Formats: sequence, structure tokens, C-alpha cells
Amino acid sequence: MTIEILTVIFVGFAGGLAVGTGFVAFLVVLGVIPRLTQLTKTMKRIHAYEWSAVVGAVVGGWMSLRHSILYVSKYWLIPIGLLHGVFIGMLAAALTEVLNVWPILAKRIGVEDKIVILLMAIAFGKVVGSLFHWIYFVDYFQ
Amino acid sequence: MGETVFIKLRHRVQVKPNAAITVGDVAQVMATDSGMAKQLQTIPLYQIQPSDKNIVIIDVMKVVRAVLQADRSLDVQTVGPSQTIIEVVYEKRRFSTAYFLLIWLLLFVGSAMAIMNFHEDVSMQQVHQHLYEIITGKKVDKPLLLQIPYSLGLGIGMILFFNYVFRKRINEEPSPLEVEMFNYQQSIDQYVILHENKESMRKIDDD
Repeated sequence: MTIEILTVIFVGFAGGLAVGTGFVAFLVVLGVIPRLTQLTKTMKRIHAYEWSAVVGAVVGGWMSLRHSILYVSKYWLIPIGLLHGVFIGMLAAALTEVLNVWPILAKRIGVEDKIVILLMAIAFGKVVGSLFHWIYFVDYFQ
Repeated sequence: MGETVFIKLRHRVQVKPNAAITVGDVAQVMATDSGMAKQLQTIPLYQIQPSDKNIVIIDVMKVVRAVLQADRSLDVQTVGPSQTIIEVVYEKRRFSTAYFLLIWLLLFVGSAMAIMNFHEDVSMQQVHQHLYEIITGKKVDKPLLLQIPYSLGLGIGMILFFNYVFRKRINEEPSPLEVEMFNYQQSIDQYVILHENKESMRKIDDD
């Protein structure tokens, strides 16, 4: 019995460790946090940002696994959704950057000066695609 | 030893097809006798031919040789890059608006599809339903109160990352996109410097 419990604890801990390191590696590769500190000029606070990512991951993991329920107003979802979207948007932007999409695209089709408009195409495409998905598409895919 | 002449090659020069390139086109020339520097700048170096396509590399040794041929008593000192990339600009491709619109639409539709596939891939609908339940304790099928701000946030996050809104107002730093373009250009330059310059590599089967 004790051995079983210890094994389960060990497996859970090992799994969490692997996922946690993977999560951090993902954030580091995409460089979202340095980008945010650069935008806001708060390089000194970088350790606080590290902790916010760690605590966020732990709280999110805990809440989704424990099915805890807060019973608060539904309007809390608006700021949460907005922050959620900004974060995913930054990840998506960072991903196109890491993959070197823009410089190659601009070179190939020769539009170095109009690249902002193409960037807007991607950003609006994301917004419209996402809205379409939630409002319309999900009804036909249950 | 004669008079000292300083030569600094430019990094990248654009020329027209069939241009005759002089020392002054590819390099800054500095000498105590400014008349002589002016004269050295007019030395012809290279004639662009159609077979050169659009990139020609001028090695610093070629410039030094040309200058020494003009006056062998000079003491030539070189500073800066050791080759110049000459870009032959053929008539500027004009882009039709229709073509541009097509690419815009391609990116627009493509990224819309990509985000939808991403949502399905990570089962975000279920996550959002679950999140709605965590916050409010109620179950709903379409938690649009969460999802519409989320969708708007996506666009804000992308634009924020590339810093197009605040760039002019807050800081002078280049955006990551500009740095990325610069790095890419730098890599291409590095490549053509090595591969188009016959002087920079010597292979076994070269005679």
C-alpha cells in the first residue's frame, strides 16, 4: 500500500516536472516575457514575472484538476478572456517570428515597405477567425 | 613610402544595369591631398554585365590593386568591411493593387483558418466551458462572455508584440520585426559574400 502511494506520488511528480520544464522552455524559446519587459521598460521586475508565470501555471493546474468553483459574477470573464487572448496572440506573433515568416515573406514577394499591412491581415484574420469559430462554427460541430 | 590613402568600402551599393563602377562608388577614399582622393575615386573598377545577374561582390583587394596601379607609391590603408555587395537593380517591379489584395486575403483567410484549427486542436471550447463553470458555477454551451474578449485580445496581443502602436511614442527601439528583417538581410549578405566572391573560397578542383 505504502509502495503504491509512493509510486503514484513519484509518477505524478515526475510528470509534473516534465510538463513544467516543457512549459518554461516554450516560454523561453518564444521570448514573450523579455518582449513584455522591453515594451514596459521593467527589466528589473523580471523575477516577479517569472513567478507570475509559475504561480499562474500552478493555480491553473490546481483549479482545472480539482474542479474548484468560485461562484463569482460572470463579468469577471471579460477581463480574463481579454488577458487570455492577448497572451495567445503574443504567443502566435512570437511563433511567426521564431519561424522567420516575415522576413522571408517580405523578400519573396518584395513588399518590405508594406509589411505592416500584411501584419494587420494576420491580426484581423485571427480576430475574425476566432469570432467566427465561437459564434457560428461551434454550433455545427458538437 | 608615399602618401597614405585610407579606403573604406561601403557595405551595400545599388547600381543600375550596365553601370560602370568606379572606386568612388564602392568606397570612401581619404587622403591628405583631397584632390588626389577625388582623382582616385574616379578610377574605373568594374563594368556590370547582364551575366552578373543581380549581385556582384567587389573584394577590397581589387580596389587596392586598382589604386596601386594608378599610383604605385601610395601607402593604402583599408578600414571597415573587406568587400562590397553590389546590387544591380533592374527596373523596379511595380506591384498591382490586385496582387497585393490577393496576398492580403491569403494571409487573412489563412490565419483565420489556422486559429480555428488551433482552437479545435487544443479543445479550447471545452476549456472555456470549464472556465466559465469555475468562475460562475453555471454550465453554458457557448461562453461568449469569455470568448469575445478573448478574440479581440488575440489581435491586440499580436500587434502589441510587434510594437506597432507604441513604437513612435514610447521608444526609438526597433521592433522585433525590424530586427528580424535586419538579421535575415545580414545572413543573406554573409552568404553572398562567401558564395559570389571567387576570392574568398578556394576549392581543390579550381585551377
